Amino acid sequence: MVGARLSIPEPSAGPDSRVSARTSTVELRIEARPDQLSVVRAVAGDIAMRQDFDLDAIADLRMAVDEACAELIGVAAPDAPLRCRFHSVPREIRVVAEVLSRDATPPRNDTFGWRVLTALVDDASTGSAPAGADPGGHLVRIELVKRPAREVDG
Amino acid sequence: MRRPASARDGHPAARAHGESRSPGHYDHLAPLFAEMAALAGDDPLRAELRERLVTGHLPVAQHIARRFANRGEPQEDLVQVATLGLINAVDRFQPDRGVDFLSFAVPTIMGEVRRHFRDTGWSVRVPRRLKELHLSINAATSELSQRLGRAPTPSELASHLELSLEEVYQGLEATNAYRSASLDDLLVADDDSMSLGDAIGEMDTELEQVEYRESLQPLLAKLPERERTVLVLRFFGNMTQTQIAERVGVSQMHVSRILARTLAELRQELRDAD
Repeated sequence: MVGARLSIPEPSAGPDSRVSARTSTVELRIEARPDQLSVVRAVAGDIAMRQDFDLDAIADLRMAVDEACAELIGVAAPDAPLRCRFHSVPREIRVVAEVLSRDATPPRNDTFGWRVLTALVDDASTGSAPAGADPGGHLVRIELVKRPAREVDG
Repeated sequence: MRRPASARDGHPAARAHGESRSPGHYDHLAPLFAEMAALAGDDPLRAELRERLVTGHLPVAQHIARRFANRGEPQEDLVQVATLGLINAVDRFQPDRGVDFLSFAVPTIMGEVRRHFRDTGWSVRVPRRLKELHLSINAATSELSQRLGRAPTPSELASHLELSLEEVYQGLEATNAYRSASLDDLLVADDDSMSLGDAIGEMDTELEQVEYRESLQPLLAKLPERERTVLVLRFFGNMTQTQIAERVGVSQMHVSRILARTLAELRQELRDAD
């Protein structure tokens, strides 16, 4: 289920010219430990801020990424790193967080945590795919899409 | 803007509408204290009198809050703290002691505000320039949210404040180092005037869809009312932080801090309960 869902950026979406909102991809690789969450939060907040998202959307994305990564840290195989990719185009940030797990089951969709996630972002999905033979296990992931509240005219 | 006493006006976050008046303006309220003192503790009329007294004296609290302005704390927080001091003063005032209410209330309210300055602050050392930046961003956020009907963006804040985007970014980052937990805690104690509990009822059906509701419900019940309300409105009531801020009467950044903190606590407790 690890799909190529990266969308082609649309240059027509003309952001505020004062803002450096543009297409970018940032990838983080951290130890899957709760004390690393502040790093992911800070990066998420910074990216959303520099894409000129409104303050609600910035705060929402910080919390959503925190929630998603905390969920994945909970299922991570020992010593497996957490990978977090932020792909931003004007007016949209897509986050793919992924961790190697011994369990093939993706995070459940009927938990409080999932409720929180779906309230915070425009789209949230989970997936899991078998990892390579070495070290085996499954790549479990959560994918989030966040857009600012602002109308397109700006 | 004077309205009859109502639950809304009694709220600590009631907006600073009235200008402060000379002491004589409060004379008509004085008999209410004696009236209230004569009532039994459980008399329903008591709550009504208390509310009228708090509402009527609100300009005093607002006046004191203004005296502490520009000292590094958001004005709206100061008004809230001063109002809390006023409520304490109304509750503790003994009319039979021969002292007039204002002589008793003013030091009580000032004490509350001073305590606030002692108790709250920044969790890490932040340069003065950034604190001021944080304050102006906070104020501009409230103003622009009112005007736009949604939270502003960094570029909108920059234009409004005539600052560069980088400066706004710095100010927003500094916000993450600000803590007002002790203020939050001061304000949550049985704030029945908010009647926000009503909001929770409407969300019950939404809550039922959550698998963990058996373990979640007691945790939610344990939360202070303000935390619970903010959480439920955000995650089960589909309101934005800015809308919640408007409804609860605090700033968007304050709502953001309450949410982040409460969520982290809940997550921990849900995990421990597993």
